[in-house]
Amino acid sequence: MQDEMSARDLNERLDLIQSMIAEGRRSTESWGWVFLLWGVAYYVAIAWASWGGGLSIWGHSYLSMGSVRSGLAWPVTMFSAVIVTLAIGLRKGRPRRASSLVRSVVSIWLAVGIAMLLIFPAFGFTGRLEEHSFVALVAAMLGVANGASGMILRWKAQIACAIVWWISSVGACFGSVAQLTTVFLVAIFVCQIVFGIYAMILESRRHRREIVHA
Amino acid sequence: MPELPELNPVIHGKLRLALLSLLAGAEQAEFTWLRAKTGSTDGNLGAQLLKLEEAGYVSAEKKFVMRKPQTVYRITEKGREALTEYVQALKQLLGPAISV
Repeated sequence: MQDEMSARDLNERLDLIQSMIAEGRRSTESWGWVFLLWGVAYYVAIAWASWGGGLSIWGHSYLSMGSVRSGLAWPVTMFSAVIVTLAIGLRKGRPRRASSLVRSVVSIWLAVGIAMLLIFPAFGFTGRLEEHSFVALVAAMLGVANGASGMILRWKAQIACAIVWWISSVGACFGSVAQLTTVFLVAIFVCQIVFGIYAMILESRRHRREIVHA
Repeated sequence: MPELPELNPVIHGKLRLALLSLLAGAEQAEFTWLRAKTGSTDGNLGAQLLKLEEAGYVSAEKKFVMRKPQTVYRITEKGREALTEYVQALKQLLGPAISV
């Protein structure tokens, strides 16, 4: 069989393999970085809002907008995070979804993300949201997204994150602002930063397993 | 003179090679996605996927999504190994003539 084939035919096959593997890989996007990015963004927003005062979710004057610095912390940080997410996402290329599974998970996160980006600025303008309700709402919504995504993917680690968010959501209804802050910071650390890094490690292992330049 | 390696005939077909490579990158894919990526017809694609499935290189899972039948294909460990061996054999055959 080989006698009939020229070096050109064989090289074409190698090219075909490389391009098809790359094509397939583009369809399974890596998302661990998004969790990490947003975890860091939440921390930046909290740190900025608390700058110069005691550690709290959005500083002492978020609702009254008495301090421009504290008042801008969340909107500016979240808007920046959206821009960075879009910029990195676009740079990685348009997702080429290989299955309805991936499409379902992306849809859930988009829907929850849009809901959050609409509702929280609106609350910010009207000033009808206090810290406990804010954390309870954020945690519940992130719990829904993680829970649905984890159940679809049958990914226990993500379901565990959902449980942490839901517990945080209930816990946010009780206790002082200091306790609330601690709960929120821990939930962000576990479910965004640790989970994001864990997802990135898994993705990197998966890529190593694949035939890259065999 | 060293013996030249044999190329696996199951993988050697261009469409089957493209399918196995796509699945090596994507881990899993629907029939419709594979059809779009390869530009193949339903009949030919189905036949080639069946050959890969019979060789144990891919696995197929049939299910219903929104009452529509859907088949999801995955590369198996055996398929991944076969593709690796195929690429190694290709490189060995090409030797200095390799252009990638």
